[in-house]
Parts: sequence; C-alpha cells; structure tokens
Amino acid sequence: MSESEVAGSDIYLQPTVVFQRGRKYMVCAKSGHGKTSLLNFIYGSNRSFDGTIDYGMPVDSPFALRRDKLSYLFQDLCLFSELTAIENVRLKNNLTHFKSDAEMEAMLAAILPAEKKDQPVRTLSLGQRQRVAAVRALCQPFDYLLLDEPFSHIDHQNAQLLADLVCREVDNQGAGLIVTALDAIDLFNFDEVLHL
Amino acid sequence: MLAKLQRKTLIPTQIVGYALTLLVGVTIVLLAFQLYADLQPMLTQQTDVFKAHTVTVSKNVTLFKTANKEGVYFDQRELDRIQQQDFVKKVSRFTSSSFNVSASINLGDGHRMSTDLFFESVPDEYLDVQSDAWQWDSTSDFLPIVIPEDYLSLYNFGFAESQSLPVISQNTLSQVSFNIVIDGNGRHRMYTSRIVGFSGKINSILVPEDFLVWANRYFGAPSTDRCSRLLVEFTDASDERIPAFFEGNGLNINKSELETSKMVFIFRFALLFVFVIAAIIIALSMAFIVMSLNLIVQKNRELFVNLYNIGYSTSQIARFYQRVVSIITVADLLLAVVAALVIRGLYVSRLQTIFSVGGGTLPIILTASILCLFLLLAYNGLIRRSVRSVVR
Repeated sequence: MSESEVAGSDIYLQPTVVFQRGRKYMVCAKSGHGKTSLLNFIYGSNRSFDGTIDYGMPVDSPFALRRDKLSYLFQDLCLFSELTAIENVRLKNNLTHFKSDAEMEAMLAAILPAEKKDQPVRTLSLGQRQRVAAVRALCQPFDYLLLDEPFSHIDHQNAQLLADLVCREVDNQGAGLIVTALDAIDLFNFDEVLHL
Repeated sequence: MLAKLQRKTLIPTQIVGYALTLLVGVTIVLLAFQLYADLQPMLTQQTDVFKAHTVTVSKNVTLFKTANKEGVYFDQRELDRIQQQDFVKKVSRFTSSSFNVSASINLGDGHRMSTDLFFESVPDEYLDVQSDAWQWDSTSDFLPIVIPEDYLSLYNFGFAESQSLPVISQNTLSQVSFNIVIDGNGRHRMYTSRIVGFSGKINSILVPEDFLVWANRYFGAPSTDRCSRLLVEFTDASDERIPAFFEGNGLNINKSELETSKMVFIFRFALLFVFVIAAIIIALSMAFIVMSLNLIVQKNRELFVNLYNIGYSTSQIARFYQRVVSIITVADLLLAVVAALVIRGLYVSRLQTIFSVGGGTLPIILTASILCLFLLLAYNGLIRRSVRSVVR
C-alpha cells in the first residue's frame, strides 16, 4: 500500500498500537485497505510488513500461538468442503480437545438448522459456511479472537445469534476480540473503533 | 478426521505400482546377496585355497611311453620352457616317493589287511584341505594323509552301491587309524596314520611335503629327483594360448579346472549384473513413490495450507503420508524376505546334494533391515520437507 492510502490510519505508520486482553476492538476500512492483511500479520500467516509485533510473551514463531493463544475466522473460511459441518469443527477441536462433543453440537445447533450439521460443507450456503467457520474458531483456548468480516454473508437476525455466541465465549475466556468490517457494526459492545 | 481427509488424497494405483516394483527389486537384491553368501564356500575354495588359475599338468601317456617309462618325466629343459611362457606365473612340482610303502589295518582277532601304496606331495598353498592334523615332525610317529574325494565317491556310489555295502562318510573314514610301513635304503619304520582330509582338486595320495623330502633322502634311492606331474599357476586362466601350448607340446592339462575358474568368473559377473539391475529397479520404485507424493502435495496444496492455518503442524500433516509409505514399505520388505527365504529353500535343497551349504539366512535379514532403515529415513525426511515447502 502507498503512504497516501494509509495516511489517516489509526494503525499503519503509528509508532505503537496496543490491543489488550478483555477488550473488544472494531477495525473499519474500505475493501482493499488492509483489514485482512492486518489480521494475517497478527496471526503470522503474512510476514511482509515493517515493524514488530510483540505478543507480550517470548514467541519463536506466531505458528506456536495458533493452538491456544490466537483464533482466527478467515475471510475465505478455510473449511474442508468434503467434511461435514460437525467434522470441520471436530478437526479443529482435536488439536486441543477444548470442547466436548455435546458443546460443539450445541454451538452449531444455536446458529445452524439441525439437519445441516451432518451435511458436507460443500452443500451449505455461503452464510451457513461462515457460521460453521465461526463455531470452529471458538473451539480452542485463545487470548485473542480475530474475526475477518464475520457477518458479510449473514442476515441481521442470524448475525445477532452468532455475535451472542462469540461474546459469550470471549467473555468466558477473558479474551480480546478484534473484528474487521467495511462499516461500523453494532452487534458487539466495542471498547474501541479503529479506522485503517 | 484428519485421516479421513487425507485418505482421499492418495492415489491407489501409484501406491500399488510402487509396492510391486519395490517387492520385485528387493526380492532380487536379497536373493543375490544370499546366493553369493551361500556359494561363498565353493567360490573361495576355487579361488583362494586352490588358486583359480592353477592346473595339474602331466605328459600324455602313449604306447611308446608305456614301454619307455622315462618319457613321462619332465626334465629341466621342459620345466624351463613352461616357466618362460608369459601366461605362466609359477610352476611347482609334485614330489613322489622313491621307497616302498605299505598300509595295514588290524581287523581284530589277529586278522590284518594290507596294501602297497605310494605317496606324493605338493606345496601346502595348493592344497584345498585345511586341517590342524596336517603336520609332521621327525620325532613323531604320526603321519597325516590326504586322499582324493573321488576315491570315496568311487567306493560309495560305485562299489558300495553295487555290493549292497554301507556307505562311509568322510567323517567316519577320518576316524579310522591304520599303520604305514616304509621300507627302503635298508631302513624300515612304522608310522600310525589317519586320513585328515579329502582333496577335490589333486588326484593323488598326499603326505606333507617336508616329510616326503626328508623320507626320500632317508629311505629313497639316491639321485631320483624325478617328477611326472606339475602344478602350473597362470596369470590369466582364460588366456586362449594356454590350451594350444599344452596340446602342441603333448602335455595333458586338467581342463575342468580352467572351466570351473571361468564359470566362477562368469557367475560372479552375472550375479553382479543381476544385483545392479535390481538396484536400478529399487531406485526407480523410490523415484516413483517420491514423485507420487510430490504430486499429492502439489494437488492438495490448498488442503495442506488450510490445515496449517487452523493450527496443524507440518509434522502432523506429514504424519499420515509417512505412516502409509512406511507401513507399505515395511510390509513389502517383509514379503520380499519371505519370498527370498522360500526361493532360497528351493535352491538350497538342490545345492545340498552337491556341497554342504553353510551359513544361515543372515544376508537376507541383514540386507532387508539395512534397506528398510534407509528407505524409512529417506521417505520420512522427504515427505516432511515436501509438506513444509508447500505450506510456508
């Protein structure tokens, strides 16, 4: 990105930006302004930036944080289309066995029609897939939850259901939340809104 | 879950192809090693003990020579002439006894059986018998003897067979002691004796050379340093001038010796050739599975990246493929070991009738183990590297 594009940014080119545990952050920007890049920098899947990210603990590679410190709802979802909804969630949960089978099923049931749980993800609509991916992101311990445009394909009513589910989990874990969106959304009680 | 996801990425035909080629290659390699080890006694007997390039040479016995016996002996001029041929490395002589020898054996109740004998000797390095008892010293009354294997075969398969007599093993015969009486030069001495070995190469009744040299002086007629048979060692036994030279000079060579040494050479070469081909087959099978795995990794790049994204490490992603390839490889090698053992069983039962196959199946087991270790290390490393290269 050119300097002029990020001139008014609350994050890029700033000397330091601090995200704290227990607080909820909204990151707003037009498309193409680096929302996903920011989350990828934090998650460690994109390293093409200047500066440093301090995780508040010694970290060899951000990869080590993926199991129990950072959870990420990818914009492109990264679901496995051959596996069913519940299998996708289990695959993630198998890494840490953080949730019980019943908990996973309950979370899916809260935001997805019951019959969809055992269908291969490729047969689900985009919005349904997005909700599966969100549930998957909740099935691990984390200090920060990163949600990249989590409601882009979901109607308002379902978005509220999902937001409630996410809030409960974030609050339970005492974690920080970073949500990106095109425009400000009022589904969470954000502590801070940042503009890229 | 992960296995379910990754199972679909495998390409069964390629795995079957790998398993088959590896099986064929490994079975042949194992057999080549085992066969080489099994035939080692025969090969080394040929090459080391009785040098592969050594033959026995004598003059042709003709009607004329039957009348004039002097004709069968070599004189110094003839010896020099053979020695001067550039394919001849060394000429050694058979030493023969120039005294009377008789052997006798007590049959109990006062009966005795006795026969007249002769002795010859050759330098120890040409003798294909190894025995601790093959020693003589002037103070001892014990005299070790080596007889040709053929004598015993002649008795066992010819005489005993036709007369319904029991056959005698080499071992049994070696335990029988008998008396040797030597007369000559007005002297007389009795020795106890035993057969300490059977020569497959030298067709004569042999005693240690130092004994015969001493005995010829002590018992023998003076000035009888005659020799009717030679041991000729060649630099290269396959030299085609050899048969021509000996035939042209009315000499008789033991051609089968030459033939065997040629066969040993051809056999070794053939075994090496088979080994190289099998090694190439194994190398191809390895290339095949490595290419197949690379194809899987490239085709499923997105799957692997997704797994890595949700927190699966490269070693966790690679583990499934490492397991599949390891299990197939180990099972394949076990199968190859079984196949090689079965085939060995078939040829050993035939070989046992010709000579005793010593040694066990260590070559098969050892080769398979080393190969297994090498393949597993190579594959596990390669798969890990290939997965890592695609997710990062």
